Amino acid sequence: MKIQISDMRYAERMARLTARKIEQTKEKQAKLGARDEDDYGLVLPPASFKVDLPVRDATGQWSGPRSWAANFRWLMENHPCYIDPDDAIAGRWMFMLSRMRLGYQLSRSNFAFDYSHLEPEQKKYDITTGIGKDAHFAPDYKIGLEPGWGGLLEKVRTARRQFAADAYAVELMEAEEQAILGVMEWTRRLAAAAGDRAMTEDDAVRRDNLVEMARICYKIVESKPETFREVVQWLAIFNMASRTYNRDGAGGQLDELLRPYYECDKAAGVLTDEDAEFQVFCLLLNDPHYYQIGGPSADGKDQTSRMSYIILEAAAKLKSSCNLTIRVWDGMDRGLFRRGVEILLANRLGYPRFSGDKALVEGFMKNGYSAALARSRIAVGCNWMSLPGLEYTLNDVVKINIAKVLEVAFAESNSLEELEANYRKHFKAAVDVTAKGIDFHLAHQYLNEPELMLNLLSHGPIEKGKDISHGGAMYYNMAIDGAGLAVVADSFGAIEERVVKEKTLSFAEVKAAVAANFAGEEGERVRMLLDSAGRYGAGGTAADRWAVKLTDILNGEIANHTTPDGFKLIPGWFTWADTLRFGRAVGATPNGRKAGEPISHGANPLPGFRKDGALTAMATAIASVQPGYGNTAPWQLEVDIGLADDEDAVEKVMALIDGHFKMGGTLVNINVVDAETILAAHKDPSKYPDLVVRVTGFTAYFNSLSPDFRQLVVKRLVREAV
Amino acid sequence: MKGIVFDIKRGVTKDGPGFRTSVFLKGCPLRCIWCHNPESQSPEIEHAVTTDEVCGREMSVKEVMDEVRRDKVFYSSSGGGMTLTGGEPTMQSEFAFALASAAHDEGIHVALDTCGFAPWAVFERMLAVVDLFLYDLKCMDAAKHRKLTGADNALILSNLNSIDAAGAKTWIRCPLVPGLNDSDSDLAALRDCMRSLRHVDKVEICPYHTLGLEKYAKFGRKIPAAVPPVPADIADIKRWRQICVLSPSGRKVAFPVHSMHTQTPIRCMHEFQSDGLDS
Repeated sequence: MKIQISDMRYAERMARLTARKIEQTKEKQAKLGARDEDDYGLVLPPASFKVDLPVRDATGQWSGPRSWAANFRWLMENHPCYIDPDDAIAGRWMFMLSRMRLGYQLSRSNFAFDYSHLEPEQKKYDITTGIGKDAHFAPDYKIGLEPGWGGLLEKVRTARRQFAADAYAVELMEAEEQAILGVMEWTRRLAAAAGDRAMTEDDAVRRDNLVEMARICYKIVESKPETFREVVQWLAIFNMASRTYNRDGAGGQLDELLRPYYECDKAAGVLTDEDAEFQVFCLLLNDPHYYQIGGPSADGKDQTSRMSYIILEAAAKLKSSCNLTIRVWDGMDRGLFRRGVEILLANRLGYPRFSGDKALVEGFMKNGYSAALARSRIAVGCNWMSLPGLEYTLNDVVKINIAKVLEVAFAESNSLEELEANYRKHFKAAVDVTAKGIDFHLAHQYLNEPELMLNLLSHGPIEKGKDISHGGAMYYNMAIDGAGLAVVADSFGAIEERVVKEKTLSFAEVKAAVAANFAGEEGERVRMLLDSAGRYGAGGTAADRWAVKLTDILNGEIANHTTPDGFKLIPGWFTWADTLRFGRAVGATPNGRKAGEPISHGANPLPGFRKDGALTAMATAIASVQPGYGNTAPWQLEVDIGLADDEDAVEKVMALIDGHFKMGGTLVNINVVDAETILAAHKDPSKYPDLVVRVTGFTAYFNSLSPDFRQLVVKRLVREAV
Repeated sequence: MKGIVFDIKRGVTKDGPGFRTSVFLKGCPLRCIWCHNPESQSPEIEHAVTTDEVCGREMSVKEVMDEVRRDKVFYSSSGGGMTLTGGEPTMQSEFAFALASAAHDEGIHVALDTCGFAPWAVFERMLAVVDLFLYDLKCMDAAKHRKLTGADNALILSNLNSIDAAGAKTWIRCPLVPGLNDSDSDLAALRDCMRSLRHVDKVEICPYHTLGLEKYAKFGRKIPAAVPPVPADIADIKRWRQICVLSPSGRKVAFPVHSMHTQTPIRCMHEFQSDGLDS
């Protein structure tokens, strides 16, 4: 199935909307500076707008349901109303409440409870603890779409009465009520703003659009959305409110969410494919939430529909940051896969991404879950899968820097055997303290920062009167990712090759050189020998075997293990955008890496892993280190200019992805590199405000990345492209 | 059995269809004056004179196949396989045959990238285990061919006709060097030759480039005097298109432009996509 949609009127509106987004991105960059994370969809508030939250203690903090609710309601009630007469959707979001606490850091959340007893060990292994981290699991939009805000309000009021004897539950339900009232009030004000704007609009098309926008917003303040456009607006309102609350960016299976409304409106003759595409375009422009399309339903039938194609075409026209994943599986409509690859190669914007159903389903089932649940666990985050509305996970926010674990082990070792034994010992200790941290988070987060928005769209929190982080969820599958795989595998491999097999170096020589950060001529000689040893990714090297062994060690301590309090753990390999931060924490390593240099990216081999840089070799290596329990070890692939220009590039990329998934791969993120553009943008980022690159699992404006980070992306892309 | 291999590249997308593992066998009977892999010419293992690089190492069939097998999943997902190249792979005819047989027995698609200069018996035996011949056609004029490559082209042309007569699938590759083998009469002769073949699937033009010149000094050789110092330009490549023909079956012959013996497609490739010659 292939659809052709063309409507000049919409084309012009899309062009104007895109141009404004680029303008807004420029303004954001000028005001906020560089940010190494997703673009998000936020715009700047008017300069005159002052945030004056009602609840803050002397240190600029707040915690607990009541305080969060009061601040959130204030923010929603005062939130500026952004209206664009070209847009199908009213509103843009502008603030992140969770970042308004004094001293906020991306790498370390504000937390109202003392965990200093865990900190020495956490620091020792450079653990990213996840303590106090929010969101990173997925809502089930249907829970909100069916009753609407009015129905949700009724639901929490009923629950509050039901839990009258439980003081926390009452406070939580009252907080939920405040959150809903805040969102309703903002929606009402958006409606009024759209109506006001319509009064002064001269263009008839825009005026009609604004009137319809106002009608929809008024309706969905309380009533459930019924038409396609009403649903799109409702989803955007939830997304924006949830972003404003705590940056949550998980979406859902967008094609299946929208399909019933699309089919109904089409049958009623009130919606064309052009309308649907434009409205989806606006939803994707509004915020780059993570959505999946295609893939199997819970009962194993292909979910690809006309709606899937419309979403894909809307994304293709977006030409902006977008996080759309196509699930690749045996029973799929290959046309969707092909069209996805075509768009990826033609637009060169890093999307869509592709997830591998087979390994994800088989892997998740190894945790004791059914095939139906495993199929429903979809791509809704940077590197992660989640069961919408059913699961609490701390996905992508709990990491063990195994390069740091290696550093600790190496300092105590005098042979390869000792190093392996010490690595195992310290890795276990690192997992232990990480698991204790997860327990600590789960024991206190509901008092620190309850998930007021995501609770509403989850099965359990309202029904049980418990925050999702504290008993409200149906399932707890707590993610722990290892970071730095290639650095550690190459370190073990280099020692095995140079010290044990060839005996060109002694362990003591390596140790001395590493301790001195490879200083001096002798240090450089040792470094070159270590650096030139066979790498992980080359195929058949000692480092390749170590990478698999490190995965076994990861699984051995995490898979089918629980925290001391009994919460299930699931392993993955992923660094997120933190290769620089992790690297700064680690001294020189025996793979010839100097102190402070970045660690390796996700499950990727280090650049230069083979002279030919073979993509097939990379795909094979990354497939070989999949932990295989339903969480991912993504492959970050840079397709060089040569391959993308090939006469059969689409087939080649499809073949690569197919092969990788066949061998057990879980997620592929692809950047199509245009080396000249990247180099030019690096020279003067302001000239390329719309240049989007895939950083890790997410796409970001190149211009928004910090200089350090740009340097890293340039190095990786250009090196592999020329 | 062992042979001298000077490189194995995985994930190659230019030496035949799909993703391929190219096995480079050392040694070549020709001395093309434009050769940009001069280090591949001698059948012996060689040491560079200006660096500590070594060209060539002894490998067994098993060792090569262990490497080739690594990408098996991608051969089946992309229609790829193993390509024997060089140098001239038939210089090590026993080893090349053993490799091709081993791959063939495992169901791996085998392409043989050859200059065609070997006794017919070598190719005759290969027919059973090679799925695709990547056959170099450099010049139809015998005297000129001798001057440019050091060898007569009679054997090459007779082998090509025999391979075609045997029904083997072939892609023709023409390394063209401005001023050396690209006169109008050269091109017309090439075209006529290709018209006479029944099983040619594709014609690839490999324009001359100068990237290999620095390797001459590295491996202690002199650059042949007649080699043009500048690479082919777009005007040359446009003119060369006339060798592209419809195959006798009436099928359009695909016409990608590759830089000579490298994986990098020439940037101007899309310029030729409008004339309907692409399949």
